Amino acid sequence: MRRALRMSYLAAAVGGLGFFAMSVLLLGVWPGRALEHQIHATSPEHPLALSASEQRGRAIYAREGCAYCHTQQIRYLSSDVSRFGAATLAWETIFDYPHLWGTRRIGPDLSREASIRPEDWQFSHLYAPRALVADSVMPAFPWLFDGAPDRPRQEGRDLVAYLETLGRDRALAGPEGEAHARTACNCSDDERRFAFAALNASPAMARRTGEHPRLDASQDLSHGKELYAQYCAACHGLRGEGDGPGSAGLHPRPANLAEHEYTLDRLSASLWNGVAGTAMPGWRDLAPRDLSAIAQVVRGFHAVQPEPSLPSDVLELGARVYADRCAQCHGEKGGGDGSAAGQFSIAPADLRSGRPSMAASLRALRNGVDGTPMAPWNRELSEAELSAVAYFVRGFFQQ
Amino acid sequence: MSDSRGQVETRLVYAHGLASIIVLFVSLLFGFFASLEMAAPDSLGASPWLTWGRLRYDHTQGIMLGWLANAFFAFLYHAVPLLTGRRVTSVRLGQWIFGLWNFAIVLPGWILVLAGFSQPLEWAEFPLVIDAFVVLALLLAAIQFLPPFFSRGLEDLYVSSWYIIGGLVFTLLAYPMGNFVPELVPGARGAAFSGLWIHDAVGLFVTPLALAMIYFVIPAATRRPIFSHFLSMLGFWLLFFLYPLNGTHHYVFSVIPMSAQIGAITASTLLGVDVILVVANLLLSLRGAGWLPRDLGLRFVATGTVFYLIVSIQGSVQAQMAVNQSVHFSDWVVGHSHLAMLGFASFAAAGGLIHVWQRIPWARYNAEALEWSYWLLLAGVILMVTDLTVAGLVEARMWQSSAPWIESVRAAGPYWMFRALTFVPIAGGFVALLAGLTTGDPGAGLAAIRDSVGLKPVSEIAPRLAIAESE
Ligand code: HEC
Ligand code: HEC
Ligand code: HEC
Repeated sequence: MRRALRMSYLAAAVGGLGFFAMSVLLLGVWPGRALEHQIHATSPEHPLALSASEQRGRAIYAREGCAYCHTQQIRYLSSDVSRFGAATLAWETIFDYPHLWGTRRIGPDLSREASIRPEDWQFSHLYAPRALVADSVMPAFPWLFDGAPDRPRQEGRDLVAYLETLGRDRALAGPEGEAHARTACNCSDDERRFAFAALNASPAMARRTGEHPRLDASQDLSHGKELYAQYCAACHGLRGEGDGPGSAGLHPRPANLAEHEYTLDRLSASLWNGVAGTAMPGWRDLAPRDLSAIAQVVRGFHAVQPEPSLPSDVLELGARVYADRCAQCHGEKGGGDGSAAGQFSIAPADLRSGRPSMAASLRALRNGVDGTPMAPWNRELSEAELSAVAYFVRGFFQQ
Repeated sequence: MSDSRGQVETRLVYAHGLASIIVLFVSLLFGFFASLEMAAPDSLGASPWLTWGRLRYDHTQGIMLGWLANAFFAFLYHAVPLLTGRRVTSVRLGQWIFGLWNFAIVLPGWILVLAGFSQPLEWAEFPLVIDAFVVLALLLAAIQFLPPFFSRGLEDLYVSSWYIIGGLVFTLLAYPMGNFVPELVPGARGAAFSGLWIHDAVGLFVTPLALAMIYFVIPAATRRPIFSHFLSMLGFWLLFFLYPLNGTHHYVFSVIPMSAQIGAITASTLLGVDVILVVANLLLSLRGAGWLPRDLGLRFVATGTVFYLIVSIQGSVQAQMAVNQSVHFSDWVVGHSHLAMLGFASFAAAGGLIHVWQRIPWARYNAEALEWSYWLLLAGVILMVTDLTVAGLVEARMWQSSAPWIESVRAAGPYWMFRALTFVPIAGGFVALLAGLTTGDPGAGLAAIRDSVGLKPVSEIAPRLAIAESE
């Protein structure tokens, strides 16, 4: 009897250890092999590994607990895919020792963060998140900086370099890579639909061109003001003067909305697509009704002033200077579409749909627009030429 | 009876018991600071040592490896000799384990995390050096506590013994898997192992030892044997079969093969059924003790049992795809974790601690403070978990809609504020627990037992508890 009991306990012990071994095999080793096959079949041939700086950035991301507020794992669900982009494929995380998938989202998923935001936004955001996003609860990381958002230390640069790798390999794989993975992927139709949806669905990602909704002249000023305070004031300031708490570290600085007159269509385009190459994000997650209300507020910042009329010889001087010096960027008709326009990451201003005040125009000419290809002209042009062309370009505006 | 009681190393019980509560306060502060930073960001300044991420790491590591582990050790020093009629291996070894655990693991682990040395892996945040010490200490703990069981023979082990053996052995196996493997196996493949450990930490370490306490305290305090030994053992084996198979439910709808996900979800469902079985057995054993047992250790343990039932059923439900798809990643799950670690495990641990404390002849004991502790903690857990659950539902609804992300953050704000405030009853409850164990008259605990039920040997009532008696 004792012997039998003893044997049965031995069997139980072996069985117990067996349970554990089985769990490791079934849920660790076996899925690992399936994933390895999947990775082998779907990965592009030479995915880009992380550079030394990007590796260091990854370690900072790990150490600061970013992964406990941000996932790096877009699930095979329409709610995830429509918010963040194509679901994560197995090969996308092959360089992650250890993985940073995360199990909690206080902030958004970051799997496709590369190319959504420019560097100056990322630096300013890490330095003081609430300076850019009023209601954010993200911690500030000022120790990655030398006292100012545009003075990152090596650690800050490393971290942002790492953020720029998130989703990079998948984007680099391009349409051929997607097509290859799509055919090679051993997945169900559903999975395929989610895994190969639009790669990046971030509403904030700035695009240079694209369709945008038609906005109406909204009457809902109080709603607009509330939205403006929530979303825009951090950068553009409560009175639209481009001097919000987040503006300090941005290059270019947020536009001074009080000094500009925009057509409704231009506002719609800039709000929907953002301003590519600048910290101005797209606002595609706001309903057109909300955008209309905001546009109304923006237009309200601008006080209409009587326009001085200048003698025609000044206008002619302006036109000449413009054709010589400015048209290749700003376009003959001021549409921001000159022959050289395409080669810059920040598009030359479209002067037909947005008019700077005389002061702003002159300032842009004298000082250039910091952080953009618009260089200062005060050395090349005489004072008379400067004011002539500054005045002239304002004439392109078409209400 | 007296000679088996003589084998309890009361000084080690006391040391670990006191350490558990001190460490608990620090862990609690980490948690409170983190919750404060969500309710009012920047309120703690901008020091890297107080950044949310690092506090968050230290909070959970402190709760599991500091508070619960120390409380478990305190309990083991009391229970193992009583269960086996044998001394633990060595007092000297016990001092080493105590020192290692608190001064080579918990304390340096915290400091290293705050200084920026850590792993971004859930329930595995302490850096690898510390993990090496944990494995060493777990090995020593196995040497300390397991031989009495084996030298006594395994023939008529009480179910608590099974849980103790299971917990110690399986943690020793699972800990390295969860802490080392993801460092060696990248990305999705590593995540599969992390998923296993996230569940094993709770299922193979915390749950078995908490259940060992519950199974021990109930018969010892009610003085009636457990309702069904058969059900106990069935529950035990099913738990050890099912718990490890749950892991992948942390990554539902991920790229990990669907069959593994479905397997884990099935195991999670069955686990809920098994827990109903286990808890039914425990609650039936509590018959006659009343809704609010007078014995305070028993009362904590009984309440922990009820939380165990609720949290397990919740777990089964939230593993289901239809539910998981929306509540995953939200505060709902944070509520679930607190129901498990604070509701179930901490109530069991506090109950176990009170129980063993009362039986240290020279220890102070203050029943009134413990009464306060019970009600404050109960209120704290219920408020916090309800708050987080609702917050999770609100977030889930926002995420399903097309609202901008920040709206979900804004909507959660008031709930985060309320959650931070639940620190008050919870901290108050634990202060009262500390007071209950460090104020009052020395020996008052034992006197309380004598006055209510008399110091009859446990063996008369729960024979399996005191096998030593039969020798
Ligand atoms: C306490 C939680 C928390 C932590 C920790 C945290 N974040 Fe965030 N993060 C947020 C929230 C909330 C948002 C959304 C609001 C905002 O943009 O600030 C966000 C937004 C972001 C965004 C913008 C995403 C986008 O494109 O809209 C980036 C990038 C980011 N975080 C990076 C990081 C990095 C890097 C770390 C670690 C150094 C980090 N976060 C740590 C909460 C957190
Ligand atoms: C993160 C800071 C930031 C936020 C938030 C922000 N902007 Fe901008 N905004 C900028 C920057 C930078 C520019 C670009 C300035 C430039 O092109 O020189 C800009 C440009 C603009 C322009 C001019 C666009 C154009 O076509 O020239 C408008 C209009 C504008 N923002 C409106 C808004 C509104 C409305 C909101 C709120 C919904 C908003 N911005 C939120 C930073 C921001
Ligand atoms: C290299 C291309 C380039 C050339 C040449 C150039 N610009 Fe610009 N210009 C830009 C860019 C880019 C911007 C900034 C757009 C922005 O801030 O988003 C800009 C901005 C401006 C603005 C400010 C618009 C506003 O809405 O505030 C004015 C005015 C302007 N340019 C006038 C001129 C004039 C006049 C000349 C010729 C003397 C000229 N630019 C030459 C590229 C150019």
